[in-house]
Amino acid sequence: MLIQDNLFLTRSNPSGNGGVQFLYRVKDYGLSALSGPQEEISMIHWEVEVIKFKDPKTAEFEISHTTELADKTLKFYSDKSLNEFIQKAFQYFEELDSLEKMLPNESQQS
Amino acid sequence: MANVKGSSVCRTATDEGKPADWVPGGEKQTVVDPMKMFHELPREKLFITGSEAARESMRRANIDIAIAYPITPQSESMQQAGYLYDEGYIKEYYRAEEEIGTFSAISGASRAGVRSLTATSGPGLMRGMEAISSWPGARTPIIMLNMCRVINTPLAIQPDNIEMSFMLNTGILLLHAENQQDFYDYPLAAIMASEQVDVTLPAVVSVDGFFCTHARGPVEVTPEEYKLPPRDGWRSAVPAMDNENPPARISRDAPIQKSNFISYHMHSSWQQEVFAAVERSAKYFDKYLGGLIEVVNPDAEDFIIASGCAVSQAREAVRQEGEQGRTVGLVKVKSIRPFPTEQILDAVKGAKRILVPEFNQAGWLHKELCAVLYGRCNAVIKDGPRVFGGMTMPTEMVLEWLAEFRKEVK
Amino acid sequence: MSLETLRPSPAFADVLPIEYRDLVEHGPYNNRGGDQSKQTIKVTDMGKFKEVIEEHPMCAGCAMTLFIRLVYIGMPNPEHTIVVGTAGCGRLAISQASVPFIYGNYGDTNAVASGLKRGLEVRFPDQKKDVVVMAGDGGLIDIGFQGLMHSWFRKENFTTIMLDNEVYGNTGGQESGMTNQGKVLKMAPRGKFGEKVDALGLAKVAGVDYIARLAPTNPARVARTVRRAIMVAREVGHSYIQAYTSCNIEYSIPTPDVMKDAFEIEKERYGFEEIISPAAKAYLDEVEKKPKKKKSD
Repeated sequence: MLIQDNLFLTRSNPSGNGGVQFLYRVKDYGLSALSGPQEEISMIHWEVEVIKFKDPKTAEFEISHTTELADKTLKFYSDKSLNEFIQKAFQYFEELDSLEKMLPNESQQS
Repeated sequence: MANVKGSSVCRTATDEGKPADWVPGGEKQTVVDPMKMFHELPREKLFITGSEAARESMRRANIDIAIAYPITPQSESMQQAGYLYDEGYIKEYYRAEEEIGTFSAISGASRAGVRSLTATSGPGLMRGMEAISSWPGARTPIIMLNMCRVINTPLAIQPDNIEMSFMLNTGILLLHAENQQDFYDYPLAAIMASEQVDVTLPAVVSVDGFFCTHARGPVEVTPEEYKLPPRDGWRSAVPAMDNENPPARISRDAPIQKSNFISYHMHSSWQQEVFAAVERSAKYFDKYLGGLIEVVNPDAEDFIIASGCAVSQAREAVRQEGEQGRTVGLVKVKSIRPFPTEQILDAVKGAKRILVPEFNQAGWLHKELCAVLYGRCNAVIKDGPRVFGGMTMPTEMVLEWLAEFRKEVK
Repeated sequence: MSLETLRPSPAFADVLPIEYRDLVEHGPYNNRGGDQSKQTIKVTDMGKFKEVIEEHPMCAGCAMTLFIRLVYIGMPNPEHTIVVGTAGCGRLAISQASVPFIYGNYGDTNAVASGLKRGLEVRFPDQKKDVVVMAGDGGLIDIGFQGLMHSWFRKENFTTIMLDNEVYGNTGGQESGMTNQGKVLKMAPRGKFGEKVDALGLAKVAGVDYIARLAPTNPARVARTVRRAIMVAREVGHSYIQAYTSCNIEYSIPTPDVMKDAFEIEKERYGFEEIISPAAKAYLDEVEKKPKKKKSD
């Protein structure tokens, strides 16, 4: 099972292609982890996107390929490897948040 | 069975290579009260495919015999049943010649008074339909898992639940699972309901195949050391064909085997009783499943009524509408037979618009709803969106239909 | 029904239906003291004891009816036997027997029997239950062919008995797979196209352990063959009996000449034949001859 911390939403794949999407949220950033159906069950995997939420309350987001975590859609073939990535991402998002909070302060000062 | 030397027939676990001191998995399990299993036992959360959910359900279901013929997308589950047989959770198992053979054999097994399981998908269901449609009249409790798939030409293996419409008027109990979790829970509930004396009917648990069977989802399972009570072959509306009871009249009386008034009368009263038994099963499903329907946002004016996979897509549409500040209600129909007419009527009594999204061309759920709500509900009932043959139903599609509906019906 | 399960209190014995008492006290339901290979009732006494089947709506002079009566006399343990059949003339008589009868769908007999037998093995590990399919030539070799073949390949532990009247009698006289080539019948207006299906040959190829062909000319032999077939199915593998049971209506055999026809056909092409596998032979030797020393395997 995937890490349940910071799990913002679990829903069926909104594209309608079947499977489940987990949305993790740490402040404004997060991860979308999607596991869809495969004709060969052994080919079932995770497709993971780093996402940036548009609104503090809703699940609306855009895919972000500009962070240091990922510049493309990532694939994971085991829950274990994905969980390791999720842990790393959480830490990164916390840092990113504090970094981004500092930025406007700096600009105000200048 | 001990065979004389030289026979090639292997019938015992030892014949098939198990050590003499082998203890079947099922014998290590403890029988638990069904209500305790369904509602009280602690649950572990797994992330597994629908086929694996079916396996975990079968493991706890105390199945005596499983017979099936492989077909995509069912085969994955029935292979798993094979492993359960090997582990000793299912006592007898074989791959049958084809579906008529499968569904005839499973009816033979049920007549012996043992818990009997089979499974199929679309074209397999259609092939075996003659046998399947005779199960309720024979009053054979059987559990069939049905992983829906396209049945008609041109070929596809994607989910499309048109096949469920062929079972609506057979006297079979029919549940429609939304996701992997339901595909774990519903078979267990269906077994217990189908074997009640005042029911004694076969039960089918349908799920929209591929999206559910071949994809992973969260499933909360009860500890594997607990299993359902075994089928009691003595408790039944008609006696088992085991020659331990006087033979059932249906196979004894000459008049009912020929065309005459008695045979017409006999058949009609027998069928009335079958369909009355379907209705009597509702109280068990209500207890086991915590209601035949699930209602989200009961005070809404706009409702979506759906079953199976369409519920999941509708759920997300309801959530997104909520984000936009609009309340949309949802009725998930868990049980198609018995059909929860009164429960649905009660749930939508304040509704103005009812949308019925479906994964089939015919819109059988829409037709069912129209038939029971006609004259008893003021809402406008709209059929759609409908996708079939493997087409997908994105959330956006449901949202667009809702928006359009609001324009059409002020 | 099982004498063990439903054993009436002796105090009620005299109020039980006379038919039941006769079956138990003077009929095939008799307890054979544990030796089920032996019959206490004799075919030669037919008419003097209560039969499992007594009343039936079959045509006058029907050879199939005689054969079916003999089958029930031959059963080693009718109180633990279940018969499976399908559409056809035979079931009109079979359904009247004091042995449970499953009248399934068209051509489903051998599949139903497979599931039934395995289910009974699971439920009654300590009580052998005999399953016997008794169906017509059409029900087995035409519509039921696939189920028949696969039950043979799987060596299911039950007996198949084909009531071969070489025609669809119940639907009014159409040719079947077991009809002889050239025979003019309904749906074969120019005579049957193909040859009679070699069901015995198929059984042999499929590895059926006990195969027998006969006509009901020798009643004691019919009962003995049925008993052997059921005993083999119980312990060894599958068994198959193919019986010539003429249709005097569709083949226009004068009622008084039905047995004459049976003797003629037997002589011509339906002679008694047994094909027994080595395993079945060893088993039958053991139960029938009672060797002094039991083999220690």
